[in-house]
Parts: sequence; structure tokens; C-alpha cells
Amino acid sequence: MSGNVAFDATDIVLSIVKIAVILLLWLNVTPIMVWVERRGSALIQDRPGPNRVGPLGLLQSFADALKFILKEDIIPAQAHKWLYTLAPAFGLLPALTTIAVVPWGRAFVIPEMHLFGRTLFEGGRIFNPIIADVSAGILVIFALASLGVYGITIAGWSSANKYSMFGAIRASAQMISYELSLTLAAVSVLLVAGSLRLTEVVAQQTNYYYVLFDIVKIPAWNVLSPAMWLSFIIFFVSAFAETNRLPFDFAEAEAELVAGYHTEYSSMKFALFFMAEYMAMATMSAVITTLYLGGWDIPYYNEPATFLGFLLSFLAFMAKVGFLMFIFVWVRWTIPRLKYDILMRIGWKFFLPLAILNIVIVAAFIAGGWI
Amino acid sequence: MEFAIFFLFAAIAVIFALVVVLHRNPVVGALSLVASFFALAVMYVLLEAPFLAALQVIVYAGAIMVLFLFVIMLLNLSHAPEAPTRPVQQFLGYTASAAFGIGLVYYIAKYAVSTTTEGFFQADAHTIGVRMFEAYVFPFEMVSILLLAAIVGALYLSGRALPRPAATASQPGDEVSK
Amino acid sequence: MIPTSWFLILSAILFTIGVCGVLTRRNGITIFMSIELMVNAVNLTFLAYARQMHDVHGLIFVFFIMAIAAAEAAIGLAIFISLFHHRDTIDVDEANLMHW
Repeated sequence: MSGNVAFDATDIVLSIVKIAVILLLWLNVTPIMVWVERRGSALIQDRPGPNRVGPLGLLQSFADALKFILKEDIIPAQAHKWLYTLAPAFGLLPALTTIAVVPWGRAFVIPEMHLFGRTLFEGGRIFNPIIADVSAGILVIFALASLGVYGITIAGWSSANKYSMFGAIRASAQMISYELSLTLAAVSVLLVAGSLRLTEVVAQQTNYYYVLFDIVKIPAWNVLSPAMWLSFIIFFVSAFAETNRLPFDFAEAEAELVAGYHTEYSSMKFALFFMAEYMAMATMSAVITTLYLGGWDIPYYNEPATFLGFLLSFLAFMAKVGFLMFIFVWVRWTIPRLKYDILMRIGWKFFLPLAILNIVIVAAFIAGGWI
Repeated sequence: MEFAIFFLFAAIAVIFALVVVLHRNPVVGALSLVASFFALAVMYVLLEAPFLAALQVIVYAGAIMVLFLFVIMLLNLSHAPEAPTRPVQQFLGYTASAAFGIGLVYYIAKYAVSTTTEGFFQADAHTIGVRMFEAYVFPFEMVSILLLAAIVGALYLSGRALPRPAATASQPGDEVSK
Repeated sequence: MIPTSWFLILSAILFTIGVCGVLTRRNGITIFMSIELMVNAVNLTFLAYARQMHDVHGLIFVFFIMAIAAAEAAIGLAIFISLFHHRDTIDVDEANLMHW
């Protein structure tokens, strides 16, 4: 800020390009994930799944979207109209803003391009595929994730329905409890990377460890080093609790609380909650990829700083995010839901002490030079 | 560019602060305060302190205001409308705060010095961390004990169904109302 | 580069709005929220001067203020809950047992 970096019109255009790419990707997550979820659950439960609409049921998402748009939009008479309408937007806010600080590809040098005799780009301009490279990247993720509580709480309260209210209170209590272990587990990533900036976290993971008398070379991804396994497990489980996915989905709790905090929502507002949940899932997968799976790094391959290298790293990032989202779907249809008091108990009495212990363990590893 | 961002978010902060103070419904007030805190976090980024901006959102907008919202919703406060303040108090309150505000803004605009020291200054986690754990480690540890005291105090003050040894034993907070 | 006095004026305006809320409202929670607004205005002043004077002490102070404000919010809300349980109202004009 304030003149440290030269900032001109080309930078603004490139930022708009980056925002457009990420928006297009993330807004299309929901239709793809709806299909993956329904076919994936059908595969796990040994049944066909949607196969009427389009080949392999691929157009099912379009049919669902059409249904949502054409349904009648009902607002309960005693609901607080403004907050009732704004609540789904609150749900979308953390998912769409957090992805702005995640690096999704390798920085590359834009070659000199001339078009119609005019210079489009002078040589040497670096395109860094991250919308906002803030120096407090990891903290911004947690700041925006903690705003996710508001969507659920406001939705439940403004519906003027006691079941929605119960679902909202339970879901918000669960989210704020697991936020603590999420943040503390990511502190170990900060300790290893030495910086809060996410590009540096990924840059540290592009190195290699030499183990077994310096013969075997393994990439320095945080998930592959034994000191970080505990941190990865805590973060992964807390990510399920943060995105309200089974086994922590008390927000919806089908067959328990009617439909939890979005009982009273219909048509497009409900579709917005639906989208918000899948986008939060995708964002959390992107964060886990960046912190633990090495971000955009392709193992054993030194990507050149060109457009081709950027494309390969982008595809690697998307592959990792897709893999994690498939695991989200897989776990949903495999593990049963926990009872609420057990969920809160393990959140406070098991995961929080474990996350604090994890910081001590990782700090001991670093002090001993074994990282 | 910076000036545009400053004016936009200053306007947002001030407008939502006015909503907090003037609106009847405390839930709307709490949410407006969240928006105001978010605008203040943007101000902190303009002041080249992104670490503290993230902390502001995590601590204030993400934790303290959630606490406020929970208390307002669980006590069902928006159902009992607040009685209007007596006109004498309203008149005195508005004039006193207006006089205070105008005086404050006038003297700041007249006497504040805006020259910046030369040199590069980084307000990031490293700078704060080094100073915190070297010179200010004792206040840091005391704040953690203070937070523990706050937790224990809050649990004790708000607990109503604590098990009592005898049925006629007095309840905590009896002296407040009886 | 935005002059420091602009941030100070914004801080003064927010502080004044907070003072107005404390003086003219009867709902205890709203008064408490106005107090939080005043604390945040002071935070802004500290950071404005920390940037102007390149001094890290402003940042340290803001850090501690945030932590202590969290503790204060927890205790204050617990006191309000206790008041509500005994009087069934949050109106601060009703908490007048020590009135003469």
C-alpha cells in the first residue's frame, strides 16, 4: 500500500481477469457437486442414482436449477423480512471471499505480446495467480471462516420458527467450537512455513526432503511429514465441522429437526444455501490443499515459470481440490451422524487439547531439527 | 484510489454505527455493528496493519459479536420493545454528545500533526511477535490469566441451575434484587 | 498516503456516536454495543499514530485492547443475563435498587 508497489491499469485488468476466472470456477462448483454427490451416493449405496435426465444423469443439475427458479418463493408472515432475505447472502460471503487469498497456480512471466502494432504487455511482468496476496494470508482465511456462523444464526432466528432456531443455535455452537481446533491445527503449518503468507506456505512445500541416508527424495508436502500428521487429522475433521458436513451436519439434521435452519426457506433462497454449502466445501478443500497437500505443486517436476507451467500447476491444484471434495462426499455417505452432546464433548475435550498438544509437538520437532 | 476506499468504508462504518445507536431492534443493531467492525478492519488495512485487520475480524466480528447475538437471541429481547427514553434525557444526551463531538473534531482538525517518520515500517506478525515475546511477555501471560478469570466469572454469573447443598440456601445474585 | 488527521476525525466521529448511544438508550445490550464502538474508535487512533510514528507499541496496545475487550464482553453479557433472570427486563432504568 501507499506507493510501495507500482500499480497501474494493466494490474487492474489482470486482477479483473483473476477474479473472473475464480468466480466462474466457484459458481460452477455447485452443479458439478450436485451430480457427484447424487451419483457418488448411489454408487456407495448400490443403486443407480439419477440417470433419466441426459446421459448418465449429467443434466440433473439443470433440472434442479430450473425447479428452484420456478418454485414459489414464500416468506413466513412473522419472519423479519430484511434479515430473512439477507441470510443466504451471509452464507455465501465466507466461501466466496476466502478463495481470494488462496494461490491456485504457479506465478509465471507474461511474455511480450504485441497486437496490431501496439504493445499489450512489456516483457517481465509477473502474473501471480492469487487475487490478494496479503501478508496475513492464513489469518484472513480464519477471519472469513468465522463469519460463516452469521448466515446460519440469522437464518434460524429470522425464520420465526422454533425448530429453525434450535437448529441454528446448535449449528453455530458447533461451528464456533471447531473453529478453535481448526485455527490451532493450522498454527503448526505456520510454524513450519515460517510465514503467514500463503504463497510462501506453498513455496516451502515445493522443496524436497532427503530421507533414509539422503537417498530417497520425497516432496516436502506437509501431509507427508510425520510431524504434521496429527495436525492434518485435526484440521481435516474440523473442516467437516466447519462446513456442516456429515458426521457433523446438525445444521440440516434431516429427520431430526425437519430441516434445521433452512426449514422455512423455499426456491431460490434455499438454492442459495445449497450453493453456499458446496462452495464452502470447495473453499475448505482449496485451503486444505494449500496448507497440507502442497497447493499447486506437482511432485518431482520443476514447473517452468511459463504459461504452460502455470497451466500444469493449475490442473494439479484442481485435481487435488477435486480429490478432497470426493472424500467429503465419500465420508458423508459412509459415517453416521454423531449425537450432539458427543460432538460438542469431543470438540472441546478431545480436539482442543489435542490441537494445543500438536503445537508443542511440532515446535519440538522444529527445535530438534527434524522437520 | 486509496482515498476512494477510505471514504467508502468510512461512510459505511459511520452509517452502520448510527444504525446501532438509533434502531430499536437489538438484533439489527448487533448485525450493523458487525458491518461497522468489518469496515474498521478495512481501515486497519489502509493503515498498513493487515495482521491487526485480520485479528479485528476474528476477535470482534467473529467472536464477540457472535456472543452478543447469542445473548440477544436466547433472551428473546426483540419481543419486548424498549420503552422510549424520557425527553429530558434524550435532549441532554444528544446535545451533550453533539457538543463533545464537534469540539473533538474541531480541535483534531486544528492541531493534529500529520508528518510521517521516514523509513520502512512493517506492521506484520513478525514485528508484533518479536516485541510481544521479548519485552511484553509478562503482560501477555497476564492477559491469558485474565481471560481465564473472565471465563470462570461468566460461568458463575450466568449459571442459574447450579446444584445447591440445601434447598433454602441463597442463590447467587440474590442480593441484586431481594 | 492518507493523512493521519483523517483517521483521527473518523475515530472522533465513531467515538461521539458511541457516547450518544450510551447516553440516550435504555436497552442494556445496546449501551454495551455503543461501548464496544467507543473502544474500536480508540483502537483506530492507536493504529493511526502507530503508522505515523513507525512505533510498534501502538500495535501491541491494540492487541491487548482486543483481548481485554473480549474478556469484558463476556463478563458484561453474563451480568446482563443475571440481571435478566432476576428482573425479566434489560432496561437499565429498572435496575434502580440502589437509588435513593
